[in-house]
Amino acid sequence: MSSTSQKHKEFVAEPMGEKPVMALAGIGEVLGKRLAEKGFDKAYVVLGQFLVLKKDEELFRDWLKDTCGANAKQQGDCYGCLKEWCDAFL
Amino acid sequence: MPVFVEDPAHFSKSRLKSDLVAHNVSLPPAASKKEVYVELHLKHIDQKNAADFSSDEEDQVQDALSPEDAEIPDPSGLTDDDLKAALLKRGVKAGPIVASTRALYEKKLSKLLQSDGHDQLNGAEKGVLYSDSEEEEEEENGDEADAESACTGAEEDKRETVEQSDQAQQESSQNDDFDYPQCFLPSSRLHVRASRHREPRPKWNSGNALKSSEQNWSRCTQIPAGISRASSVDQRSGLGSGLPQEPVKDTFKDLLPDAETTPTGIYATRRRPIKGAAGRPIQYAYPDTPASPTTLERREVERRLVPIHIQILVFLIVACLLYLIYVCVEDSSFVALLDSLSQGSESEEGLLVQTEAQDTLALSEQE
Repeated sequence: MSSTSQKHKEFVAEPMGEKPVMALAGIGEVLGKRLAEKGFDKAYVVLGQFLVLKKDEELFRDWLKDTCGANAKQQGDCYGCLKEWCDAFL
Repeated sequence: MPVFVEDPAHFSKSRLKSDLVAHNVSLPPAASKKEVYVELHLKHIDQKNAADFSSDEEDQVQDALSPEDAEIPDPSGLTDDDLKAALLKRGVKAGPIVASTRALYEKKLSKLLQSDGHDQLNGAEKGVLYSDSEEEEEEENGDEADAESACTGAEEDKRETVEQSDQAQQESSQNDDFDYPQCFLPSSRLHVRASRHREPRPKWNSGNALKSSEQNWSRCTQIPAGISRASSVDQRSGLGSGLPQEPVKDTFKDLLPDAETTPTGIYATRRRPIKGAAGRPIQYAYPDTPASPTTLERREVERRLVPIHIQILVFLIVACLLYLIYVCVEDSSFVALLDSLSQGSESEEGLLVQTEAQDTLALSEQE
């Protein structure tokens, strides 16, 4: 079966609105803080970056790794979360 | 890759741009017309190619290589447009190159350049090993060209250029094809999987809006999506997602031979999600609409109670019945009632009966 977390399900269940970046699946406190320092303080800003990269998985994962040092699992979780959100609401 | 000029006017603007970049020609302003690009292309690249044609085959190969060496630009030194053109030349359709994406695309280009340079060096050394058939073709055509040019004059030169232009087209198409498998097999596979994902997606999107009785349907479509996604995550570089899917489908059929056939051919039974076990519950069984706990409780309570309309109806019916009973009691004489009720004691009740009889008589007189 899939391995989507509770966080993922909660995020994908409704429009993200003003949720903080830590609401994204795969992004915890540490990564969230790093992203916020770079200016990505809200989930929709990360969504913006995801869309500018044309929802490309490789590029988005590289960007996450470079920006906040996410490991492969965290990258995958975040990508999956955003992709599913876009499929549902975009 | 030397560009054998067939007719630059037939090239697309992006092709012209990338060719100019390859030959280190500064690009005209971005909004220039195609003719400007064609002119520059003819001016600079034609000169180079004229020099190439007039030399021997060996020189040709060397000249072929040297533009390649000059072509390795420093990704960070390129402008946004140049970077985009260079990526496009290698078959990467880049998105907008803005501040946040620039670094990523530079990295991507440097990766591609490394793999390109690697391939060309290897191709020059061991052309047979790799399936770089363009190398073999080049040599073959080179031999043919030598034989022809040795025999005849200017007419053969024309044919050479045609052959070589065809060869160049084949080379470029082959290069593109080779580039795709080397660098982009994973992502192209992912794109394929993504498109496969999208097919079950609309089903579950609508499934979310339906009631629990139809959650079976949505769950049925979830499982292949979940499986294909899991397999894509696990086996990205290797096997396709088709393999893991089939065995799972077969086990379903084995487990539930009695189940009705569903249009998708997927069988699944309804499962209660296990609280607290991430991943165990059904993947996409999200609530119909996000509702607060109080509204959910109220809905539960309201479902159990009798609806209001029915309550009012019952009340009215009972009221009517009572009124009818009252009217009936009024009409019929008390005497008859009391006689039927108490036949035992007559003395006291006889008096009461008389008084009541008088009352009823009085009442009836009044009416």
